[in-house]
Amino acid sequence: MAVSPVVTYEATSNIKVTADKAKSLAVRTNSISNQNEAPPEKKQGGQELAERLNHETKEKYVKDKKLGEGTYAIVYLGHLKADPSSKVAIKKIKVNTEYRDGLSMDAIREVKYLQELSHPNIIALHAVFSSKNQNLNLVLEFLPLGDLEMLIKDSEGIRYGTAEVKAWMGMLGRAVWFCHENFVLHRDIKPNNLLIAADGEVKLADFGLARSFSDPYRLMTYQVITRWYRPPELLYGARFYSGAVDVWSMGTVFAELILRVPFIAGNTDIHQLELICQAIGTPTEENWPGVSKLEGYVGYEKAATVPVRGKDVYLARFGTAGPVGVDLLMSMLALDPRKRSTARQILEHKWWTTDPRPTAKEDLPKKGGGLEKMGDDLKRRGGEVEDGRGDKVARKLNFGTMK
Amino acid sequence: MSKPTARNGAPQRRPGEEDDICPVCKSNRYLNPSMRFLINPECYHKMCESCVDRIFSQGPAPCPVAGCARTLRKQRFRKQTFEDLQIEREVDVRRRVAATFNRRESEFNTLLDYNNYLEEVETLTFNLLYNIDVATTEAKLAAYSKQNAADIANNKALSAQESASTEAQLAAQKEQARLRREAATNEEEEERREREEGRREIIDKIANSTEDPDKIAREGQKVVLKKSTARRNAADRLRAQDAASVDNASAPLFQIAGLKPITQPEPDKAYDPFGGYIIRPAYFTLQEQYEHPWLEKAKMDAQITAGGYDVGEYRARAMMEAFAGLGCFIEDEVAGRERAAGADVGTAAAAVAGGDGEGMGDDML
Repeated sequence: MAVSPVVTYEATSNIKVTADKAKSLAVRTNSISNQNEAPPEKKQGGQELAERLNHETKEKYVKDKKLGEGTYAIVYLGHLKADPSSKVAIKKIKVNTEYRDGLSMDAIREVKYLQELSHPNIIALHAVFSSKNQNLNLVLEFLPLGDLEMLIKDSEGIRYGTAEVKAWMGMLGRAVWFCHENFVLHRDIKPNNLLIAADGEVKLADFGLARSFSDPYRLMTYQVITRWYRPPELLYGARFYSGAVDVWSMGTVFAELILRVPFIAGNTDIHQLELICQAIGTPTEENWPGVSKLEGYVGYEKAATVPVRGKDVYLARFGTAGPVGVDLLMSMLALDPRKRSTARQILEHKWWTTDPRPTAKEDLPKKGGGLEKMGDDLKRRGGEVEDGRGDKVARKLNFGTMK
Repeated sequence: MSKPTARNGAPQRRPGEEDDICPVCKSNRYLNPSMRFLINPECYHKMCESCVDRIFSQGPAPCPVAGCARTLRKQRFRKQTFEDLQIEREVDVRRRVAATFNRRESEFNTLLDYNNYLEEVETLTFNLLYNIDVATTEAKLAAYSKQNAADIANNKALSAQESASTEAQLAAQKEQARLRREAATNEEEEERREREEGRREIIDKIANSTEDPDKIAREGQKVVLKKSTARRNAADRLRAQDAASVDNASAPLFQIAGLKPITQPEPDKAYDPFGGYIIRPAYFTLQEQYEHPWLEKAKMDAQITAGGYDVGEYRARAMMEAFAGLGCFIEDEVAGRERAAGADVGTAAAAVAGGDGEGMGDDML
């Protein structure tokens, strides 16, 4: 039932702002309408309409080979039956032991938001179908060139400069802006969720932790975003937050792109907070009114507080971005989420138009992560972290704590 | 010339040596065996090295040859390449003209245009060579090089690049040939060693076993042969591979005639951080303030605001959701399809919404 057209139409009736989205939906409705030639009331061989449509979607794609397998999903390389040269990734979500009676939360989030968001910098979800045993299959865009983390880590093999950083940040900025403009919080922005398409375009992936902006007084969980990229308000246990959490993550990704090591890499949540205090400044009532009201806020002694770092400190560390770039970085890493730039303000910043011009996407350095890397990236569940690099950062969504 | 064949007794004269007398100082090779003649491309008058040193060391001076009197500089004196000074001069002139008029055929629309251009250049060159209208010709040349400075520099860089890549290719080919040679010697060596080993083995076998020595010898021979065939096959395969790679490497050298002129790429458009997307609500304008008692607490409560929660975002979403679907005309999208009444709720609902939205325009951006 995962892909029953009713779900699609429900979506039609309550989202939508951009013509682009309208178009994407139009395509979807058309594709369904094509399959709908026969009068729908007539049941074929006892199958319900939803089942039949699901079957037809399933028949459109062929799985070629397995690219990777994780605890949460198996990723296959696939293609359209009608066009063997087309390539897609099919992510088959395993029946989860935790959610035996239904679909896992991550899968629902991923389908729900990817289905709505259609943008060149967001991974495209072509179709969804269920196979036997009610397994959910997501047909995703084929992105063979690995992720940004790979490029950042390969400091021996890959050299890049400000123009490249600007190009990548620009694409990330657009993706986040588009999500926020459509009232979706991504809540897991980090370099290895930024996949690279064959033409060098960066695409935001892994919407397993995404949700739409909250209604007033509706609590949200603070156990989201991989620790190194988690903003201070979440570390302080804020239950009400906004797109500013994604902007902080963008800021840390920006810093990581320049430094080529994770900017604030704490071992525990407390350690993470300590490092934030040192790198950016200690949150106090002066620089962040109301911060002491947050559930997890811990007071600091007057003597132990670190003043908010000035521009000179950033310039010394991130000088390659230039003074204008440092301004942008500082506005993304403001402690008080209300003072942080919004995604729109980031794209309106003058850094994008100052020299150097962002590199054209075709000329960006590539490493060619290959099929396996793509399989690895997609098989993760929302918020899951690979072993090795920061396996201590791994955390789980804990819905039990939500009231 | 007094003794043209005095030196090394060679019957033929070296170029430019038939009159080994410096026209300026009248010294000759007999007096000064190491005499070298130099010319200056200004007037192409020949004189010996010591004259050049003597006259031009103090800076520019007029040419000492009677009736010339052009100002010459020491720096520009050089050895002549061609025996005939006429040719020397022609080569210089042609080189100079070619450096300026370095247009390529690919820059012209038709071959006729290119040929006309070549003819014009040749007329110019001819004029310079035979001193016809020198002043106007020089002016033309100067004007052209001023007007087309950018193109000239461009083409110059292009040809420099081409010659560099050709050189690199040649070097690569040479390297490959060397590797092949090395491989061949190694192979030969190995073959010889193996043959010897085989022979030794056979002898050992004959010495240590009671079998018929002839049979052992025959079998041993067969083994050696088999080995060498296998090796030869492997070597053949390698050679074929090499040949293929050489073909690939030299492929770009092959020029296809009649290529279309390459159009200059359009200048890059200004970078748009938004990537061409504009998102603006089409059916409502968001106000700064909305009076709503329910929202007041969310605006004031520090627990809510300190985390960055923004009521404004909620208002924007609420408004968007209220007006969502107005721009969707499912009817248009499924035009031509027979609508099955009540087939699915969504279509019907959206169609109603579409009907309501009529007259509001369907442009969303």
